[in-house]
Amino acid sequence: MEEKGRIGIPRALMFYRYFPLWKVFFEELGWRVIVSDGVGKRGNLIYFEDSCLPMKLLVTHAMHLKGKVDYLFVPRLVSLHRHYIMCPKFRGAPDIVRLATDGTIPILDETIDLRTREYSMLRSFVKMSSRLGANHPEGKRAFQMAEQLFLNFQKGWEERINQLPLNQIYQMDIPVSAQEKKSHLKVAFIGHPYNLYDIDVNKDLLSFAKSLGMRIITPEGLSEKEIRAQVSDLSKEIYWASGREIAGSLFHFLSGGVDGAVFLTSFKCGIDALLQEFIKRRLTIRGGASVPFLILTLDEHSGREGLMTRLEAFKDVMEERKRNVKTQSSNE
Amino acid sequence: MKVTFPHLGTMHIFCKAIAETSGIPYIVPPETSRRTLTLGVQHSNECICLPFKIILGNFIEALQMGADTIVMVGSGPPCRLGLYDLVQKVILEDMGLHYRWLTIPPRLTWQAIWKNYEETKELKKELTWKNILLFPHGLRMGWRKMMACEALEKLAMKVRPREVQKGETERRLKRALSWVDGARTLRTLEDELQKGMSLLRETEQDLSRIPLKVAIVGELYTVMDPHINRGVEQRLGELGAEVTRTSWFSTHILRSLRKNKADQSSERIRFFEASKAYLGYDVGAECNLSIGEAIVRSQEGFDGVVHLMPFACMPETTASGILTRTGRDWDIPILTLILDEQEIEGRIQTLLEAFVEMLQWKKRAA
Repeated sequence: MEEKGRIGIPRALMFYRYFPLWKVFFEELGWRVIVSDGVGKRGNLIYFEDSCLPMKLLVTHAMHLKGKVDYLFVPRLVSLHRHYIMCPKFRGAPDIVRLATDGTIPILDETIDLRTREYSMLRSFVKMSSRLGANHPEGKRAFQMAEQLFLNFQKGWEERINQLPLNQIYQMDIPVSAQEKKSHLKVAFIGHPYNLYDIDVNKDLLSFAKSLGMRIITPEGLSEKEIRAQVSDLSKEIYWASGREIAGSLFHFLSGGVDGAVFLTSFKCGIDALLQEFIKRRLTIRGGASVPFLILTLDEHSGREGLMTRLEAFKDVMEERKRNVKTQSSNE
Repeated sequence: MKVTFPHLGTMHIFCKAIAETSGIPYIVPPETSRRTLTLGVQHSNECICLPFKIILGNFIEALQMGADTIVMVGSGPPCRLGLYDLVQKVILEDMGLHYRWLTIPPRLTWQAIWKNYEETKELKKELTWKNILLFPHGLRMGWRKMMACEALEKLAMKVRPREVQKGETERRLKRALSWVDGARTLRTLEDELQKGMSLLRETEQDLSRIPLKVAIVGELYTVMDPHINRGVEQRLGELGAEVTRTSWFSTHILRSLRKNKADQSSERIRFFEASKAYLGYDVGAECNLSIGEAIVRSQEGFDGVVHLMPFACMPETTASGILTRTGRDWDIPILTLILDEQEIEGRIQTLLEAFVEMLQWKKRAA
């Protein structure tokens, strides 16, 4: 199929969860997908608004794609769940990008709101495909294809993270073997996907963790049922999908099953700030966590060395505790 | 049972009126002070918004004074305001304070009514028949007091830029508000309001002055409470600007009751429509309205807009990014003030003085 044009996807925000889906969809329609490069160590951020780091990165990445692509794909993600919503900043994201790029690139900003049928994932994508000149059956077929591949891709997620370096995890043609590498520490890394997998946000912390011999467990591996079990008894429901996932998976892992839990959050993230306080207080009321817990706040000023030192210290804590538990059980 | 409520703007006046008229024991939290803020800051973290900290501080102080039932207005998604109660409950519990919580639902849904029923089950045992019978009357009293306070505040905004002696209006407003606060019946309330209005009108004014017209927009608690915004409204007035704002308790209560026919709501719809040039979707809270109001005010010939937001407020952060463009496109100066717990009264004063001076130059040049 001949190439119809180029679509740019900024390497930011929900890219870190849905990129395979988006990529397959646009490629099925005959468009070439161009992803922005990472900002890198010396990269300059573009400050359009005084927001959290992932949001600033969205603008920066979009600006990098300026002039290189025909369309920019920045969907308006209102809700990606039947009942729960996304952070309000996501609702204005396409508008922010439009203003920052001075309206020079047309933006594919279809609304996705899974709470209403009108904006379901399928419908929004079909609408988008008609904007790109494809007819309804073509759009539908491309989306179904993409969805199928995406579901398969998600199944191998945990192995992918543990075996591949972070900048390769979204290259779908690299296969991963099913065998589990031996590692003596199982550590849960919790946070928004764009904090966990964006090297520019977390300074490649996960690779360092792997080099320390940790096996990384991510919230993606938890089922909806396990999360619901942790957060259903709250006096009020946490209405952000990501916030609910974070709180649920933290409570789940902090009650056992892993050797430690690390919560990655970006500075000025409203959801995390509120939930962080909530999680800490709830833990103390219930008599503390049963595994060590580390909170790392990231922003554009955080240095790799500082994060490494803290992770190393955290590893010592986890090992110490493991030894204590072992001697206690052998004494009994 | 001793009921307490947040000390926000004039909210304590009408909440107190409701409790007092229906004969329910209550405790008004002490006026928001440095200590309130310190308590709130100590028990939350740096990126939680300022209204959260101040309300938490109010509750801690009230509970320490012997209150045992907290009444708090609920709210919904997408802003953090909707989860204030979830987190504050856990914080108070962790501090070892005992309380009962009653959320006033923002929208009347079955879920809200059920939750309200659950929460009030215990409380109802402590209420007498007299309390329940008098409650509708209490609500009416509260509503009238709220409207009275708003009328006084609106008049003060007009008088302040023309006052001869600086600070005179504020002193008189405080006195008038305390009269309204002290009124026990609907009839005396009406008298006290008239007395207060004429007290404000009698302020010595220089009527030859033509004040600048400035609109205050932004996050609602920050706009409505002088403790959170460090008296921006008063400061601007005393610098010679006639201030307008559309966030009042009555606006938000009417809005949540879905009474859209009132003038104020149609004004909100106008703002919302205007914001569509910049935002393709309702971001939530006051974000769209802040942008829309800035546009509408520039069309109406206002001299400037002051945008208030607490640090790390999610919807308003988006708004502040867009407002920098709006101001340029519509040729209206916009000053965004981001507020947190730091002692920035001096800085705010300097910023506002510079802003007002700039507006005067712009006006003279035009």
